[in-house]
Amino acid sequence: MPATDNKMIRVKHISKRFKKTLAVNDVTLAVEKGVIFGLLGPNAAGKTTLIRILCGIIKADQGEVLINGLSSQKAKPVFGYVAQYFGQYEGLTVWENLEFYARMYGVTDKKRLDYLLQRYDLTQFKDLLAGTLSGGYKRRLALACALAHDPLVLFLDEPTAGIDPLTRKRLWDDFYQLSAEGKTLFVSTHYMEEAQRCHQLAFMSAGTLVAKGSPTDMKHTLGDKRVYTSILPYQPEVQTALQKMAGLILVNQFGNELRIVAQNNVKKEQLEETIATIIQQIIELDETEPNLEDAFIVLTQNQTSPATNRR
Amino acid sequence: MIKAIIKKELIQLRRDPRLVALIIIMPLILLTLFAVALKLEPQNVRMAYVDQDRSFFSHMIKTGLWSDAYFDLYAVKNKAQIIEEIRAGHAKAGLYINSNFSYLLTENKQPHIQFFVDGTMPSLTTTMKYHSNSATSDDISSDMYFSDADADNVVIAQKPFIMDTRILFNPEEKETWFFLPGVIGVLIMQIALILTGITVVREREKRTLEQLLVTPMSRTSFIIGKLLPYVIIALLDFYFILLAGWLFFDLPQPSSHGLLFLLALVYVAVMIALGLLISLISSTQQQAMFIAIFIIVPSILLSGFIFPLEAIPDSIRPVSYAIPFTYFVDIIRGLLIKHTHFIDLANAYLALTGFALLFVGMSIIKFRKTL
Repeated sequence: MPATDNKMIRVKHISKRFKKTLAVNDVTLAVEKGVIFGLLGPNAAGKTTLIRILCGIIKADQGEVLINGLSSQKAKPVFGYVAQYFGQYEGLTVWENLEFYARMYGVTDKKRLDYLLQRYDLTQFKDLLAGTLSGGYKRRLALACALAHDPLVLFLDEPTAGIDPLTRKRLWDDFYQLSAEGKTLFVSTHYMEEAQRCHQLAFMSAGTLVAKGSPTDMKHTLGDKRVYTSILPYQPEVQTALQKMAGLILVNQFGNELRIVAQNNVKKEQLEETIATIIQQIIELDETEPNLEDAFIVLTQNQTSPATNRR
Repeated sequence: MIKAIIKKELIQLRRDPRLVALIIIMPLILLTLFAVALKLEPQNVRMAYVDQDRSFFSHMIKTGLWSDAYFDLYAVKNKAQIIEEIRAGHAKAGLYINSNFSYLLTENKQPHIQFFVDGTMPSLTTTMKYHSNSATSDDISSDMYFSDADADNVVIAQKPFIMDTRILFNPEEKETWFFLPGVIGVLIMQIALILTGITVVREREKRTLEQLLVTPMSRTSFIIGKLLPYVIIALLDFYFILLAGWLFFDLPQPSSHGLLFLLALVYVAVMIALGLLISLISSTQQQAMFIAIFIIVPSILLSGFIFPLEAIPDSIRPVSYAIPFTYFVDIIRGLLIKHTHFIDLANAYLALTGFALLFVGMSIIKFRKTL
């Protein structure tokens, strides 16, 4: 039965337990056609497990997955999957790999494969063994293989992990292209700037989806909490002192930038005073708009005590 | 530096409890098995006899053969049946004593008795011939001299009777006839267990399995696609070695090419299915290799391929019968060398078919659980 609405992926109350850990905890989400959906979460949040369930590699203990209105098993011809690790055959050439995956989907159209080689800059490496490719080209080959059958949906598990910035940009340009072609992309990542580029986002933490929405929606999940920023070199004493204050949710240091997320009852002057007494210097905090990282860290941290972060 | 590497290797090994268990348990099992099993001295070798004389003297010969527990005698109806019993594999040796034995003996006319041995296994043939001497030893023959009071004194040097030995099926006792058919089985076992044994586990280790599992392939096509190449390689190997045997080693033609092909099919099926099972239960290629060798070594030693089954004590014999290769050896020697009738090989064929069904069934169950 094809999808009656424009939801390409529908996930209802999925749970999966591995012995003691609840890897995926009652996840419900829906992704519309043509959307790039980002699944953002720290390592071990359950992102890979969720993607594997969506792709039908592992079975969920509970819940339902519909891709284009069909179960994962039945929907296999309409989606592609690029695993986190290179899963093509290192002992086969680029062309042989592509041909193999195409044939697994019954695709024999050589023109399509040539087009994919060209699209992913692989034509020159056509006859090289896949194992000899660099990390970036391995990823391109994996993408090409996953697209051989021109799927409607593409699942990408951390597609840019360990990839240089330039290749990463190119891959993302391509993801937009694919989305413009009407394909639905489900991408897991832990890069903020990549999350920023997704149309829709879900934050995952310890198996649970803690927030869903567009990147803008996500920033607003902080509600009436205030975000302050100032240029200040890293000083551990400042962090320690701020953590002791009531009403502070997050103290985050990016190089020379200090970011503080606080409840709205915490006064700006109060913060400035605390910092000033430590650094023996007058300091001015600016109130600013929350960014995705603020929201992400606040939502995924253990919310009983303020976290400190330094990058 | 070396120390650090050694330490790392040991840590890695320790983290693979199954491999550690295999490393510890395998020598224990092999040791017990072989310490008990490989006596190399056959016992209770079945011997079909026909004693038409039924005299005190013929009985002495039989007792002589029986007494050191090497031969286990049982009576059959006639001479032709002795050969058929050996052909069918029920007996390895035979004894024929003619009805005029005691008469000729008392007449000092040196009667002949016939001793038949199965020549398919030259090492066993040799020891059987050696042990048959107990029938003609002095202990027995000393009471068989009869002097004629009227005749001149003769020097008692002549044997009172003569035992003729007839080697059946492989009269020239060619070792190649004995080894070659078994070697085919060993080779197929290696191809099947080692090549097939790593085929699935390699995909798992290299993470290609995950990428494969999202394609719409059915489990059946995965298994068939994985196994068929090895089935064909194994079958080609089967006939390749046979051809070499026929061309260069004078190996006899089988009693039936159809039955030979059936054997090839069933045996290859058993081994490939077993290989697949190994691949499914192993989590690393190392484990798969280890299990494969763990199966191959006892198969070679306990199947009757090198040492006769008669040399394996009763307590270990069930192990021999739990080895598919045992039935292969039995059938292929039967077909090529003894031209055994199908009816006498039917049980062995059935056993192999049973193994094939068992391993295929277990693979399917295991496959459903893991993938």
